Amino acid sequence: MNFSEKLESGKFLVTCEVAPIKGVNIAKVLDEEAEPLRGKVDGFNVTDMQSSVMRLGSLPVCHLLAQRGLEPIFQITCRDRNGIALQSDLLSAYVLGIRNVLVLTGDYVTLGDHPETKPVFDLDSVSLLKVASTLTEGKDMKGNELDGKPEFCLGAVVNPGYDPVELQLIKMEKKIRAGAKFFQTQAIYDLETFEKFMKEAEKFKVPVLGGIIPLKSAGMAKYMNEHIAGISVPEKYIRMMAEAKKEERVKTSIQISVELIRGIKSLCRGVHIMPMGWKHALELLAATELA
Amino acid sequence: MDGTNLIDYTKFRLKPEEEIQEIFGVVAHIFIVYCNKCYKKFEREDKEEEHNKLLKILGEDAGKIVGQIGVDFLCNDFLSSKELLSLDLSDCDGVGVISCGIGVQFTAQLLEGKPVYALADSMQSANPTSGVAYHGISLESEKCAGCDQCYLNLTGGVCPIINCPKGLLNGPCGGAKNGKCEVNPNIECVWGEIYERFEKQGRKLTLESVQIRDYSKPSLKLKKTLSLQNQNLRSEGFYGGLHPLEKKEQTKDKRLESFPEPEVAVIFLSQHTGKRAKPSVKVGDKVKVGQQIGEADGFVSVPIHSSISGKVISIEERIHPALKRKEPAIIIKNDRENQLDSSIQPRKDFESLSRENLLEIIKEKGIVGLGGAMFPTHVKLSPPKKIDSLIVNGCECEPYLNSDNRIMIEYPEEILTGIKIVQKTLQVNKVFIAVEGNKPEAVASLGNLVKTNIEIVSLKTKYPQGAEKVLIKRILNRDVPEKGLPLDVGVVVLNVSTIFAIYQAVIEGIPLIQRAITVSGENLSKPGNYLVKLGTPFRDIVHYCMKGEKLPNKYELKMGGPIMGISQLSLDSGVIKGMTGLTVLRKPIVEVSEERDCIRCGRCVEACPMSLYPFYYAFYGKRGELEKAVKFKVENCIECGCCEVICSSKISILGFIKQEKEYARNSIKA
Amino acid sequence: MLVTQLKPEEEVLPKISGKRLFIFECLGCKELYFPKEEVGKFVDSLKEEITGRAILDYLCNREFVKAYVGEYSKEIEGADLVLVFSCGVGTQVVSSLLESKLVYTGCDTLYLNGFQGLSARNFNCNQCGQCYLNYTAGICPITNCPKGLLNGPCGGTKDGKCEVDPEADCAWVLIYKRLEKLGKLDTLTEILSPRDYSKNITEYLSQKEGVK
Repeated sequence: MNFSEKLESGKFLVTCEVAPIKGVNIAKVLDEEAEPLRGKVDGFNVTDMQSSVMRLGSLPVCHLLAQRGLEPIFQITCRDRNGIALQSDLLSAYVLGIRNVLVLTGDYVTLGDHPETKPVFDLDSVSLLKVASTLTEGKDMKGNELDGKPEFCLGAVVNPGYDPVELQLIKMEKKIRAGAKFFQTQAIYDLETFEKFMKEAEKFKVPVLGGIIPLKSAGMAKYMNEHIAGISVPEKYIRMMAEAKKEERVKTSIQISVELIRGIKSLCRGVHIMPMGWKHALELLAATELA
Repeated sequence: MDGTNLIDYTKFRLKPEEEIQEIFGVVAHIFIVYCNKCYKKFEREDKEEEHNKLLKILGEDAGKIVGQIGVDFLCNDFLSSKELLSLDLSDCDGVGVISCGIGVQFTAQLLEGKPVYALADSMQSANPTSGVAYHGISLESEKCAGCDQCYLNLTGGVCPIINCPKGLLNGPCGGAKNGKCEVNPNIECVWGEIYERFEKQGRKLTLESVQIRDYSKPSLKLKKTLSLQNQNLRSEGFYGGLHPLEKKEQTKDKRLESFPEPEVAVIFLSQHTGKRAKPSVKVGDKVKVGQQIGEADGFVSVPIHSSISGKVISIEERIHPALKRKEPAIIIKNDRENQLDSSIQPRKDFESLSRENLLEIIKEKGIVGLGGAMFPTHVKLSPPKKIDSLIVNGCECEPYLNSDNRIMIEYPEEILTGIKIVQKTLQVNKVFIAVEGNKPEAVASLGNLVKTNIEIVSLKTKYPQGAEKVLIKRILNRDVPEKGLPLDVGVVVLNVSTIFAIYQAVIEGIPLIQRAITVSGENLSKPGNYLVKLGTPFRDIVHYCMKGEKLPNKYELKMGGPIMGISQLSLDSGVIKGMTGLTVLRKPIVEVSEERDCIRCGRCVEACPMSLYPFYYAFYGKRGELEKAVKFKVENCIECGCCEVICSSKISILGFIKQEKEYARNSIKA
Repeated sequence: MLVTQLKPEEEVLPKISGKRLFIFECLGCKELYFPKEEVGKFVDSLKEEITGRAILDYLCNREFVKAYVGEYSKEIEGADLVLVFSCGVGTQVVSSLLESKLVYTGCDTLYLNGFQGLSARNFNCNQCGQCYLNYTAGICPITNCPKGLLNGPCGGTKDGKCEVDPEADCAWVLIYKRLEKLGKLDTLTEILSPRDYSKNITEYLSQKEGVK
């Protein structure tokens, strides 16, 4: 069953993020990050130079994963390419065996390691979804015929902790109309907020995979609370992390994530894990299966 | 302006028909606001142009328009908000705006709660690679992307960011054919032009360095900070105004010195607003210092006095330094005997004198406003309405001048006594002494002495802070009504030097025969602050203070400061009561002219402290349609000169204004 | 209308060292931030021979500059290069009048919000030729959102503030609030097609063609 069929199946899904490295040591990404999760997850999200840090591209890594029989989800942002390049990359993705595409606007360039570069944002997430849908109908964004149609399972992101959340819901609906078939969310730490959000989002009847970022430390939690949009790690988790001895931190973190995943499970269609350099995704998944 | 290749930089045009029809499809009653455009040669009033186009597109839907207003410079939020908020928009369910994006955004914010529709699209002036291109404040074709990393030094002064559609920085692309751009074969490839420019300069284009544009510049933060800094600076204290270079350092620390007595004094009979004095001496008469030589002719008139002792040698016409036309003057030859007139009788205090006595003394001693206006002080001190506040004006906002400043520093006690005298005549308790922040010594000097009910207000420097109406708004937040006077809002404003003169008149018994002036500017050997005898010829001052014997051709003499000062035609004129200084300036290479055309840059509107639209005065003045200027309230102009100083086309707006005000005065009489 | 900043000394000094200079100083568009004092200090600190120094306002006005070029023709002739302190427009005007002369600028130029109109303002307009304000309650997403997003906010908004500049309000949150007030939230559901950049280039080139 491919990812698209799994979405249809109603099964609870697990996806995990794989981040290409800055450089060419591809083995690290494929063998150390992706391979251990073979069979444990339903899809590998490959990030597109997240946080505007220049890295190896999402497209070749997705291709290499697909070659190994691992299901990639190609993340594509509007930050670095204009409409011509974005469409071309989508066509390239298709011929390289990639079927799942997650469309994002992308972080602004000044947040990354090349702050002086030209920000593009020719399209935005909604218009890129629409363009990708148009491609699957055999036409480019200007209506020119394509020689052969690609097929994509298009996804998008949503931030349940956003304030005002209505604005996210309006945009979510727009994304669905533009072709999004599934959503992955920003990290969830507050189940109550997420439940409220899902109550509103249910009507769209589109699968949502709740985001999980395992905590590395209390400091990381505080940092995210201060700086990352829509994330608010509750005080109790920060305390748990702060009180845990160094060697117990991973255990505590897994305990927190498992608690969250348990909560999420009844609310939505899956979970999307973003380890962000945390090396214990496999252990977390093992613990989750117990959940 | 060459007249060739001038660009119409109008920033917007009506939206496409379908879009406009769509908008009108959803409204029932709409009010239209259209901006009268900027940055185009102001040749005719085409206010209706956009509106007529709109009507044509609308057809029957035009009936949905319930009202319309044309606004000059809609983006000028201060003036436009007054205009828009005075409209009755209750009948409409939407407001359509024909302007650039700034005007639309401003209107939408101002009328929040009312749907605002943009009926125009802004127009581009840049290629997409460079971003936005900005024109200068002229209508030249050169533009600048404001990339904050100027490449002109590498490209012979030709901008590749703006002029190459790809914004290439490291040489041309391969697309140029016969030196023409691949994107539009009708224009030159800019890199070809750069190459040629280098050849003309005898240089070789090498392109050694590799350039990569830094798009993080200019940072959002910098732009925001500078923009706010600018807005704060502009709006500080009151709307409009300028921050000219102060240039006060030259004389600010120079103590007041007595200027040598003139050999011959030229004493004009008209040294005040109102009817000129009637001569009370004749040729051959001997006169003493302080002797009345001209008597007041009516209530709004004051007598004049001799500033020296000597003999009347002539009563003749000389060019008047303020009126700039021939006016009668009494010419007195100094006998150096320095005999005082018997009317000069000092007095210990004024407490015993009645209000009427005081007013009589002030009139008899010839006191007028010494700030420049020369309005008879006894009239000002006999207001027909109740006065609750006295403002003593020590702003001296005009550049170069320091005479008021020195008076405040050197004669604080005399000023305070003078204030008490005025308080008694006006029966007013509350007194403000307004001093600009650039005169800390004056503030300290007066501050040491003041008691309760006198407040020294130190104001951040901005021209024309010293204008009465501006000062009243600034200190008391009262608006003097149009065509009204300060007394209409219960205020009298007196210049600090006038107060000093009142002190001298009442306590020392000395009539107004001497005043403090600042001699400052360029090419001077003895700039300074001087107590000069009225009637001292300008020639004496020039000789005494200037390097060399003669005023070189390149220099001009202004009575007063550089902004409001009056250019002098004759060195035979003499010092008058309203003379605050003599400023010697190099003549500008480009002089203001009545001939140039306005380009609607709107700078004068931004600078006018009276919230007027001065460019119309130039426009109508040039066309001789003086009556139209009256519609734009030219009588409210205080002739501060801000508009002319800031005019980007260097039009002599003040000249037009004076004609138009005269026309307005005459037409009222008629 | 533009404002300037002095270029870093290390960029300017090597270009002018040992040369005889004629200097043009623009006083700017008056009443705008312009580094008059910094320029004055910099010029005074130069060891190079200065053959003449013209200080004027509105250096972008060709007529005015022509008069100065005439008045100072000897001084300009005697200089190896003309150093201009003004915005890019002023420098280009001087350079176009002195084509065979080396003309360098000592300034970098930037523009402030509101300058498309008359003066610094909080509003800005990018002259995109396809005004979106009717969809956004009169708040411009092109100039107020660093990404120029047309279809709603990105996920980066934190507490209603922008991810790029946490001091700035997220334009889309403002748009949302105003549309809500107007009872027009349904406007947000429309999917706006990407901005048409061809409008820019066509307009720009035709204007340029008109000038030549």
